[in-house]
Amino acid sequence: MNKRLRNAMKGLTAPDVDRRRRAMEPFVRETFQVFIRYLYRYLGNEVECEDVLEDVYADIWENPDRLRDMESERQLLRTVYLYYMRKRLREVYRRMNRHLYLSQNDLTNLTAPELGLLDTMSQSELKQALGRAMGRLKARERRAIELWLQGMSVRAIANELKTTVGAVKMLKFRTILKLKEMMSEYCHEE
Amino acid sequence: MADMNRKIQELLSDYAGALRDGCLPVFLQSLTRQEGRELTSSRDFWEAAEVVRVLNGVGFADKAAIADAGLFASRVDANIASRLKKAKSSPRPRRTNGARSMTKTQKTEKPI
Repeated sequence: MNKRLRNAMKGLTAPDVDRRRRAMEPFVRETFQVFIRYLYRYLGNEVECEDVLEDVYADIWENPDRLRDMESERQLLRTVYLYYMRKRLREVYRRMNRHLYLSQNDLTNLTAPELGLLDTMSQSELKQALGRAMGRLKARERRAIELWLQGMSVRAIANELKTTVGAVKMLKFRTILKLKEMMSEYCHEE
Repeated sequence: MADMNRKIQELLSDYAGALRDGCLPVFLQSLTRQEGRELTSSRDFWEAAEVVRVLNGVGFADKAAIADAGLFASRVDANIASRLKKAKSSPRPRRTNGARSMTKTQKTEKPI
């Protein structure tokens, strides 16, 4: 863990409420960018990410015991996700559930899943793994994913690749499964 | 009647679109009973959904308009202040073990 983050975490687990409150500001400054980007994976919406994260930090202030003895940034992110973010993420869509044709379990798995192999990787590791996996895809598969990442709709991608919308959806599905396999291999190698 | 339920690749595509556009509730509400069942039983969907989240994080999180950390810290502080205030103003928890204070018991006891 870098020195700045280690310093920012001092006082976070103090028994005194006011000291913990004062310790929150440097901790927020140091972790905000990482935490909000992590939450963005699950919500894709800045406003909701901020609302959830605000409660996450307040929960940390209220009950910081889980954050004792953190040794690395990865461990910190993992702990914050499992014990603070996940609970809040579940609450975001829980109220919707009675109107949905989806079991509570599936809704939870979709909005606040268990940590998979890829979820535990840092943003830079993921970028590296994704870059390597993309390099091994066929040209057409890579193009479809690149266009998707540029923000194009499926119809626009179909026009670009001169094919049908259905074919693009199928291509994307298969390519994503391929990416999953390749990135998992990369994780095991690392 | 024609089968209007989406296939698993269409569901994944719609899920990815909803996540990218930040409107997951729209996707969740669009699911039919049959599609919900199909999701539950499809291992491929759940595996692919993990990658979709990664793509969302890697591809779009950096482009998101994220607030300033300093401003956000004051928002967190306000949240903490409100929790503190609530904790101070909330009434004491009621005793649930049936025990009552001596004075109250004495008041209700009849003199022998």
